[in-house]
Amino acid sequence: MKHDYLDKYSSLDSVLHNLDPRTKIVCFFSAVIVIVSEPREETTAFLFYYLILIALLLASHIPVPFFLKRCLIASPFILMAALMLPVSFLLGGKSASGNLNIGVFVFSLSILLKAYAAIILLVLLTSTDRFHRLLKGMRRMHLPNILTMMSALMYRYIFIINDERLKTNRARDSRSPGRFQSGRIKVYGNQTAKIFLRSWKRAQTVYQSMLSRGFKGDFPEFFRLQFKLSDGVFAVIMIVCFGVVRVFI
Amino acid sequence: MPDSFAVEVKNLSFAYGKDPALKNVSLKIRSGERFGIIGPSGAGKSTLLLHLNGILSGDGEVKIDGLPVTKKSLPEIRRKVGLVFQNPDDQLFNPTVEEDVAFGPLNLGLSRKEAGTRVRETLKQMNLEGFEAKASHHLSYGEQKRVALATVLAMQPEVVAFDEPFSNLDPAMVKHLIEIIESLDATVILVSQQILPVMASCHRLAILKDGQVIRVGTPAELAADRGLLKECGLDVGFFCSICKKLDL
Repeated sequence: MKHDYLDKYSSLDSVLHNLDPRTKIVCFFSAVIVIVSEPREETTAFLFYYLILIALLLASHIPVPFFLKRCLIASPFILMAALMLPVSFLLGGKSASGNLNIGVFVFSLSILLKAYAAIILLVLLTSTDRFHRLLKGMRRMHLPNILTMMSALMYRYIFIINDERLKTNRARDSRSPGRFQSGRIKVYGNQTAKIFLRSWKRAQTVYQSMLSRGFKGDFPEFFRLQFKLSDGVFAVIMIVCFGVVRVFI
Repeated sequence: MPDSFAVEVKNLSFAYGKDPALKNVSLKIRSGERFGIIGPSGAGKSTLLLHLNGILSGDGEVKIDGLPVTKKSLPEIRRKVGLVFQNPDDQLFNPTVEEDVAFGPLNLGLSRKEAGTRVRETLKQMNLEGFEAKASHHLSYGEQKRVALATVLAMQPEVVAFDEPFSNLDPAMVKHLIEIIESLDATVILVSQQILPVMASCHRLAILKDGQVIRVGTPAELAADRGLLKECGLDVGFFCSICKKLDL
C-alpha cells in the first residue's frame, strides 16, 4: 500500500527543502522558543512574526490548504487552552476588578497566536525534509539515541498500522454500506482491536527481519549530512529577523 | 571426500507457549545445494527457517558451516545466513532502496564506501539500477521482492533462505525468480507450500508435517510418492489435470 504522511511535500524543490536538516531543526526550534517567550500582553510583534512565517511558507512551495489542515487538527487543543484562561480567571476571581477584563482576552489571543505560530513552524520543519533526514540530523546533533531510534521505528510502524487499517476497512466496507453508523460501535471496536493485533504481529516480523540483517539497536548511517553556504545564510537571516522583532518590537 | 554441510539441524524442538511447532527435526543440507522444505500450513517451515539465523532458539542443535548457532556466534551466523521474508514489505524498513540494501553491510561493520559498492553491485545483479533513491513502499510487489532479496544478497551470505518466495507472484515473475535463485552462488533453502516451483529449482526436498520431517528425497523421488504428497496436502494432480484439460 502507498502512503505519504509527514513526507508528503518533502520532495519539492525549494530553498527550505535544500537546507541541511540540522539548520532547520536549530532555526525552527529557536524561532518557537523566541515566539513563545514573548510577554503574554504582547500582540503587535505577532504581526511581524506571522509575516516572517508567511514568507517562509511561500518559500517552501507547500500548498497553503495543507498547512490549514494541519492547523485544524491541532485547533481543538489550542482553542481549549486559550478558552480555559478566561474561564479560570472568571472562576478564580483573579482579574483586578473581579470580572473579566480585556487583558485576559489579550492573554488568550497571545496563547492562540503563539500556538499556531509554533504549529506552522513545526509543520514547515517536517514537510520540507524527509523524516529520516530529520532523524539523521537529530542524531548528528547528539540527541539521545533512544529518542531517534524510537521515532524511526514509530514512523515505520505508522505505515504498518495504516496498512492494516486500510485492509480491515476494505473488508468491513465490502460487507456493509461503509458509512459510519453509531449502532455498530462494537464492529468498530473489534476492528480497532484487530488492527492493533495484526500490526503487532507484523511489527514482530519487521523486527525479526532487522535482527536477521545484524541490527544491534542502532541504525547505521549511510549518508553524510553536509552544511552548505546557504545553510549559514538562512540561519543568519532567521536570527536577524526573529531577533529584530523580539528585541525592538 | 566427505560432504561438507552448510546446515546441520539435530533433534531440534520448539514450541510457541504450549503449542509444539517443531518436534525433533533433523536435517543436513550440503554446501551449494538448493534445498526445498515443503509442507502444509502450520507445518513449522517458517519456524525452522527462523532457527537457522538464530532469531528463534529451541532445544537441539543447529550448525551453520560447522558453527553452532549460539548467542555468542550470532553476528557471524547472521553474516552467513540471509533470510528473505515472505512479505517484502516486512523486510524493507528504511526510507530508500539504497539505505535498505546498505543496512546489512553497514551492520556487518563495512565502511560507507564499501557498503556503497555492495549496494551498487547488488542492485545491478538484481536489475534494479536507478532504484537507489526510491522509497520501497512506492514500488510494485515484484520490485519489492527483488529489493528484499537484494538487501540479503548485499551481505554476501553463504546460505540464502527464502520463506514462501513464490507467493503472490505471477507466473512470469515465478520463472524470473527461479532463474535468479538458480544463479545464486550460495546454498539456497526454499520454504514453500507451492511445490511445483520448488521441485523445479531444488536438488533435494524435505516434507515437513506437524513439526516433523516426514521424508527427504529428490524431487523425482517425492513426486513418485503420490500417496505421501496427498497425505500431506501437497498433491499437484489437480493442477496437472487442469493443464491436461486445457492442453497446456
